[in-house]
Amino acid sequence: MHFRAVQGRAASERSHHLMPYELIATLMFSTMMLMLLTGQRVFGAIGFVAVVAALLLWGDRGGYDLGFSAAMKLMKWYPLLTLPMFIFMGYVLSESKIADDLYRMFHVWMGGVRGGLAIGTIGLMVLISAMNGLSVAGMAIGATIALPELLKRGYDKRMVTGVIQAGSSLGILVPPSVVLVLYAMIARQPVGQLWLAGVIPGLMMAALFILYIALRCRINPTLGPALAAEERDIPRAEKMRLLRAGLLPLTIFAVMMVPFVNGWTSLVESSAIGALAAFLAAVFKGRMTREVFENSVRNTLGITCMFMWIILAALAFGAVFDGLGAVKAIESLFTERLNLNPWMILILMQLSFILMGTFLDDTAMLVIVAPLYVPLVGALGFDLIWYGILYTITTQIAYMTPPFGYNLFLMRAMAPPEISLRDIYASITPFVLIMAGALALVMLFPGLALWLPEYVYGN
Amino acid sequence: QGTITWRMQTYAGAALAEHVIDPAIEMFNKIAGDRMQIELFYADQLVPTGELFQALQRGTIDAVQSDDDSMASPTEVTVFGGYFPFGSRYSLDVPVLFNQYGLNEIWDEEYSAVGVKHISAGAWDPCHFATKDPIRSLEDLKGKRVFTFPTAGRFMSQFGVVPVNLPWEDIEVALQTGELDGIAWSGITEDYTVGWADVTNYFLTNNISGAWAGSFFANMERWNELPEDLQTLFRVCCDQSHYYRQWWYWGGEANLRVNGTKLELTTIPDEEWATVENAALEFWEEIAAESDVKRRVVDIFKQYNADMLKAGRPYRYT
Amino acid sequence: MRGYIRGVDALNYRLGRVVMYGIFVLMAILLWSSISKTFFLPTLWTLEMAQFVMVGYYILGGPYSIQLGANVRMDLLYGEWSIRRKAWFDLTTVCFLIFYLCVLLYGAVSSTAYSLGYWKDAPFSYLFGVLIGTEEVGRMERSSSAWRPLMWPIKAVMIVGFFLMLLQCISELFKDVLRLKGHTI
Ligand code: NA
Ligand code: NA
Repeated sequence: MHFRAVQGRAASERSHHLMPYELIATLMFSTMMLMLLTGQRVFGAIGFVAVVAALLLWGDRGGYDLGFSAAMKLMKWYPLLTLPMFIFMGYVLSESKIADDLYRMFHVWMGGVRGGLAIGTIGLMVLISAMNGLSVAGMAIGATIALPELLKRGYDKRMVTGVIQAGSSLGILVPPSVVLVLYAMIARQPVGQLWLAGVIPGLMMAALFILYIALRCRINPTLGPALAAEERDIPRAEKMRLLRAGLLPLTIFAVMMVPFVNGWTSLVESSAIGALAAFLAAVFKGRMTREVFENSVRNTLGITCMFMWIILAALAFGAVFDGLGAVKAIESLFTERLNLNPWMILILMQLSFILMGTFLDDTAMLVIVAPLYVPLVGALGFDLIWYGILYTITTQIAYMTPPFGYNLFLMRAMAPPEISLRDIYASITPFVLIMAGALALVMLFPGLALWLPEYVYGN
Repeated sequence: QGTITWRMQTYAGAALAEHVIDPAIEMFNKIAGDRMQIELFYADQLVPTGELFQALQRGTIDAVQSDDDSMASPTEVTVFGGYFPFGSRYSLDVPVLFNQYGLNEIWDEEYSAVGVKHISAGAWDPCHFATKDPIRSLEDLKGKRVFTFPTAGRFMSQFGVVPVNLPWEDIEVALQTGELDGIAWSGITEDYTVGWADVTNYFLTNNISGAWAGSFFANMERWNELPEDLQTLFRVCCDQSHYYRQWWYWGGEANLRVNGTKLELTTIPDEEWATVENAALEFWEEIAAESDVKRRVVDIFKQYNADMLKAGRPYRYT
Repeated sequence: MRGYIRGVDALNYRLGRVVMYGIFVLMAILLWSSISKTFFLPTLWTLEMAQFVMVGYYILGGPYSIQLGANVRMDLLYGEWSIRRKAWFDLTTVCFLIFYLCVLLYGAVSSTAYSLGYWKDAPFSYLFGVLIGTEEVGRMERSSSAWRPLMWPIKAVMIVGFFLMLLQCISELFKDVLRLKGHTI
């Protein structure tokens, strides 16, 4: 007994003095980057690094448990129950093509304007964003319905590729939003208020996109020619009928959001109601074919698994970081060593998020890095609801910036052959700049984010 | 000779830990200096609270602050941790039960059997309801989805309360996302400290237990490895923590009832509340029937409460 | 090797095809939760049951999602490589992934043994003993909710899921070996 005890202590001391914590942290990040760059699945790279670090740190006493502990923690993270619901909703919308009518509506109403179809596509993306929590559905609808039409009408391919990527990224800012749900869990902030906080910045960003498109097409009409007069010659009654297509997304949005905001149903219950509403809408429109059903159900499993396994691995990684005392290290780095004022720290954080977002998976980034930053943001006296919006806009940028971005991946997979990788990369630049501008606006004018939640929840 | 490093996890979240544990650990680290340092982690930080006991037993973490009930300890005394319904009336009851009525010995036996060192038990706050809608009668309890302790939840479910179990840090959000209608987890001091007073509107002055009972535990091997003086220092710091909580809660409860502005106080009349108190006595019998150890503990609770009643004022005002 | 690949892929495919309908089970539970809350008394079990279903959904569905290629990779370099080079790198890095899964599996086994009342250091042989009847089940772990479900079933589901994920990744490894030998998959 005595011998074992002595041995145990020696082991625990050794494990604490084997390597300085900073070195372990650096090794963790570099190994992970190496595995990611060589193309291993994201969850594998993160999970491996996490469990090896845990073993190095805590040895056979406890090092083995950490990976699995994360699974139990994940099980208790109840807002994640919304994830498959929102993903399913998105797939039902894109697979069943009930968005076709919506697209025609914008097509007919906006076609006469220079760049009108691209502007209409942004409008379409806003409505789709109101019906799903990720950008996947917007990307799928944009790339399959809008993109071919836009190219056929002679729109500039670089501009429209950017329009679809940027527009679909609104899916995570306009409620419902899975990213904001995850953020809410980490920052311990109310999801309802966060969602409402995303509304005005989301609409503002859409308006900025539209402004940009309108200006560019005004200066250079060849980028987005107006539809010919004969194509626009549609009876007024037909035009009004198409307007009704806009009711569908508004109805689904209301069915989901009204009971939630009023407290009749909880968050996860509302997400199930939303999923059911989208499903029923597709059934009643006669679009729920066998194939649509199969694709929606299968892809929902695939994407949910992708997210859940990444979060599972990232939670273990985060626990190791916690064990290393990374929160305190970051705090002392920013406040003591660099001696910065709160605003400089905030801006530095956003810059580092954008930098990391270019080459890291943003879900993993959220679970690993946000827990380090959020407490500091709170301690500096900033509003965490407002910061959630800043964070989400940063994530939107991360979705589009190479080498690692979901919207980039999807665009590459879905784009027709005449759009090269070079086109895709080039297309995002103006939109990333607009997003950075929106980020700055929300930073300067917190009211953009905070007015609506304060108005709704204030009384 | 390297520094001994322990990892300790408390079941309280960061906001609460600032009072219930941080000062004691800071004190320990300051005194022990290079010889030993304790790194403190908050609720669910390293391991989820549900896995806390197993992690302690295996040495993933070296020490734990929790009640037996919350960390689901696999012992016969689990139900008595946290809030055993109407087990105590004041926070001083808890240390007396442990130190003078023999609970320490029972806890020591039980935890030694599962490879864990029970260091000492102490009291926290009473258990009250804080809810979004007011509770003025037992009828108002029906259908309320409430975050509470396992045993307290089991007991209160006979009055239509629907106990919900969620990670501690998620409670505030859950009240806002509609997953919960209220909490029966603490007194008013914690409601204000943690931020729950911002997301609930009413505080019920009737409580279902006068004091939370919880303990400090250590992994048995780690404990035995410590030199005797560090063991003593650890015990002293635990006692300091118990003492801090005694006055912090006692003063806090009264102060916030009188001066707090965020929660409106409501009360269920004594005659009606007696139904709940009587149900507790039946519940005690139900628990006692489950095993010999539980019988022993319930008998101690009965003896103690009978003694207090006989002692009269100020111990009990009937 | 081909036999292994065929067998494991078929097993995980079938399981995945069943598990993917779990989305409707999850939806039904959550809808029942809102209905019961609105019209009757809220139910004790819905939230926790939904959590269990979610665990089964993503852990048992994991191997099928690997088959679907749903797990994203960073393809900055990888995307440009030849099939051979991809296979070489995958062959190496998938071993790291397999190591991670082994650690997860070990954790699941030891936690399941704990949930059956076993607290010592040999969870694998204990669980095996329970299966063949040479070991006794001790104090069973229950969830600390008012519903108090036993914890071992969901933990056992996790063991199965992690194990199948492990088999699937070994199958992926074998596929890379075959690719390097010049076979087409
Ligand atoms: Na959205
Ligand atoms: Na990126």
